[in-house]
Amino acid sequence: MAKYIGSRLLATIPLVFAVLVVTFLISVAMEANGSIATQICGEGATPECVGAVEDELGLNDPIVARFFSWFGAVLSGDLGSSLLDQNTSVGELIGERIWPTISIVGFSLLIGVTLGMLFGVLAALRPGGLLDRVISVGAAGVIAAPGFLIGMLLSWAIAVELGWLDPVGYVSLGESVTGWLKSITLPSIALSLPTLAIVQRQLRSSMANALQSRYVLAARARGVSRPKLIGRHALPNALVPTVTVIGFRAAAAIGLTTAVEIVFGIRGMGEMLVSAIVNRNVTVLQGGMIIVGLVVASVNLLVDISYGFLNPKVRLDK
Amino acid sequence: MSESELEPTIEETPPPKADSPRQRFWKRMVRNPLALFSMVWFVILIVSWVWPELLATHDPFKQDVTLQRLFEGPSGDHWLGTDGLGRDHYSRVVFGAGFAFRSIFIAMTIAIGIGVPIGLFSGWRGGRIDRAIMWVNDVLFSLPIILLAMAVIIILTPSLTNAMIGVGIAMATRFVRLTRGVTLAEKEELYVDAARITGISVPRILARYIAPNLLPSLIVQAAIISGAIILIGATLSFLGIGASLDDPDWGVMLNRARPDFRREGIWQIMPSGGALVLTVLAFNLLGDAIRDAIGRDASSNALTITKRVSVAAASTSHAEGDDLVISVRDMDVEFPSAKGPVSEILNGVSFEVRAGETLGVVGESGSGKSMTMLSALGLTPAPGRMTRGSVNFLGEDVTNLTEKAWQSIRGKEVGVIFQEPIAVLNPAMKVGAQIMEPLRIHMGMSKAEARTRAVELLTEVRVPDPARRLDQYPHEFSGGMAQRVGIAMALACEPKLLIADEPSTALDVTVQGQILDLLAEIQTRRNMAIILITHDLGVIAEAADRVLVMYGGQVMETGSVEDVFFRPKHPYTKALLDTMPQNHSGDGELAVIAGIVPQPTAWPTGCRFAPRCVHATDSCTSTMPPLLTVNTDVVRCLRHGEEGFDLAQPASGTEVLS
Repeated sequence: MAKYIGSRLLATIPLVFAVLVVTFLISVAMEANGSIATQICGEGATPECVGAVEDELGLNDPIVARFFSWFGAVLSGDLGSSLLDQNTSVGELIGERIWPTISIVGFSLLIGVTLGMLFGVLAALRPGGLLDRVISVGAAGVIAAPGFLIGMLLSWAIAVELGWLDPVGYVSLGESVTGWLKSITLPSIALSLPTLAIVQRQLRSSMANALQSRYVLAARARGVSRPKLIGRHALPNALVPTVTVIGFRAAAAIGLTTAVEIVFGIRGMGEMLVSAIVNRNVTVLQGGMIIVGLVVASVNLLVDISYGFLNPKVRLDK
Repeated sequence: MSESELEPTIEETPPPKADSPRQRFWKRMVRNPLALFSMVWFVILIVSWVWPELLATHDPFKQDVTLQRLFEGPSGDHWLGTDGLGRDHYSRVVFGAGFAFRSIFIAMTIAIGIGVPIGLFSGWRGGRIDRAIMWVNDVLFSLPIILLAMAVIIILTPSLTNAMIGVGIAMATRFVRLTRGVTLAEKEELYVDAARITGISVPRILARYIAPNLLPSLIVQAAIISGAIILIGATLSFLGIGASLDDPDWGVMLNRARPDFRREGIWQIMPSGGALVLTVLAFNLLGDAIRDAIGRDASSNALTITKRVSVAAASTSHAEGDDLVISVRDMDVEFPSAKGPVSEILNGVSFEVRAGETLGVVGESGSGKSMTMLSALGLTPAPGRMTRGSVNFLGEDVTNLTEKAWQSIRGKEVGVIFQEPIAVLNPAMKVGAQIMEPLRIHMGMSKAEARTRAVELLTEVRVPDPARRLDQYPHEFSGGMAQRVGIAMALACEPKLLIADEPSTALDVTVQGQILDLLAEIQTRRNMAIILITHDLGVIAEAADRVLVMYGGQVMETGSVEDVFFRPKHPYTKALLDTMPQNHSGDGELAVIAGIVPQPTAWPTGCRFAPRCVHATDSCTSTMPPLLTVNTDVVRCLRHGEEGFDLAQPASGTEVLS
């Protein structure tokens, strides 16, 4: 297993590198579509200012040389500074904004995956039964609704009408644990519902497949009880495709959290990225992409490792 | 049981007048209420898109900033109320359909335009180029779509078109995967190979062979991805980096409502949010409906325990005797299908097996052999159910036993060896754990005791190096070794009855012989009853004491192995014997029984074998023959006992049995 994890760990290095290349290419493409230097100098930029900034940032150097100097800086943890304000380091900016985002995405995955698996198994036990149909209809509806819309409904119903929680704002974990939990509850639920529905649908269908398999019939012929057939025989096999879907869903949630954060007035990565785009502040967007790339690479790694646990064939062959 | 035996129960009855696949597709679509809903919704959307003025009641851009006209609820003038600038919600929602379709059009053109050719190329080329392309594709695939779209937006400046270019590129990765997968699979098909050898050009092969197989899944994917495009487009517009902030786009409408909905009421987000959700839902339902209309649905599984129905009593009584292990009387098993009539899989099946005896069960695939044994153990696959008959096991009536009560019998008093030895082992569980399972459940052994016993069992079935083998997974076993494991599991608790369903069919001849010898040896030692299901008469001759011949879900005849081979009573038995290679005149052609086993939904009216029987008369095709008792055996043939009707064939029997 250690060997398998090691090989998977090595495999994430090219993935991270690829994300860095893509990220770098954004600034090259922006260059082609209007100079970054003009952006920094602001409206009515003088040629002198543009020239000076281009020299300072090395924008006239060959692309490969620029890539390696940028790459070197990123590796040493320097994500550059905001184009709007040379004194703001992108690294620090992200350091401020990342915690609300991590809290919401993490909590939403926890809720979505746990409940999604529970409902998936429940629905698979009696395909076509009442519970299955009710869950299916609910899941279809939830999948069709964007997280931010669910967030708006929750914010209005739970926070405004019922007054149970605050409709907007974020309390950091350092300030108050309960405050933190209260502030991330609604956004996390909003973001978790589509995850829940997708995980539920996948697990239901792969559980149904597993329960139709010959090995479950054979186990039943050995006198294995129903709970064990479901939990020990069908579930581990059904989890393999489900884990893949959870991985995709984690990446999607990182993207979709932006809109949810904005509904709940939380200043996280989402708001940072949106204002970076509006201001064409490319270094901030690049910083955000690198962080997301790292998170996605870690998620992929976790997914691969859980394959190893779930599927002995994967673990032993590699 | 084999696939072919189960299939007829799932399949629908062929309608009297055959529809073309296209007609059948549309019939299924129209009958599905959800698909109908989505199609109706699309008609409304398309009208809104093509001719919005027809449906809209107001100019979607016209503001009315008089105070009482802001944030209005629904009224006769403004059906869905007004927004913060006094604009008509309903008209804006109508015009929004155009933005949704434009989004789909741009993103989908890019996604399919890039994705499908790359997928075709990658799948067709294969090898290193394929791996490189797929690696890059997987990297892009794993990044959040919204982030990729953001990257494109920052390069090209915010607008709905630019956002959709980004979404299109991200979605192209989905089509690359799909297309490449289909291409890779189709490329291996023989007819594609043949076309390639004949020198048909690659583009023509792709268009003629690959495209038709790709199209159905492409359409399903496109429907679902269209829904996703609308969702992501709305999210980007909501973030203010998609459609322009004055446009009547659904995402923008939600963006505009955001600062005020808590104060002005949730109604503000309802018109645009509702249109958005309904549209995405319609796309998803459409995709699901197309998939269902193309494929078949499986709505039951091994665990679905069919609703109990009252089982009608058997009309004959069980045989007597202390050595009787299992006795089945007049068993009927039916499979109701969603549409179409109930199909009767088994009809009036009776047999019994005594201790130390081996009952061979023969018949072609689809004759009901495996179903008989599963049903006798209460394992009838859903939605099938036993509707008549009686089962006695070890002197107890088990006809109406609950699943829970069965659990203490299955694996303990009766063991089952299945065909396909690898498929019956759980791939995610160590082989040892699976062998130990019945020991721990039924014998109450501790883990250590069960392990010791499992090693003994594997030794008994001659698996080399048993202790090490216990810690291996099924994929590390060959078919022969896996079958030995299957036998060890079935024998673990020293059952009184062993049901062996084609225990040696999947194996090569030498292993076959070893397995049968092994079973015989264990049987003698434990005085165990065996039911041996096979379509191989050679195996029957070698291992069985008595034979049950089945056809079309019925018992055709029973008899001692000598009777069946020397003096068959039923023409079907005779026909089976004639197909044996030993009974062959040596003209080089392998004998087969002409015709095929009928479908359970279309049994012939008279004798079920009549259409294929060389001895059939007119009355055979009109009258169902009763099960006649002949001494201690039975036969189901109208012509049995007729003057001069003799099926005996001494020559063949001697040769096989010697």
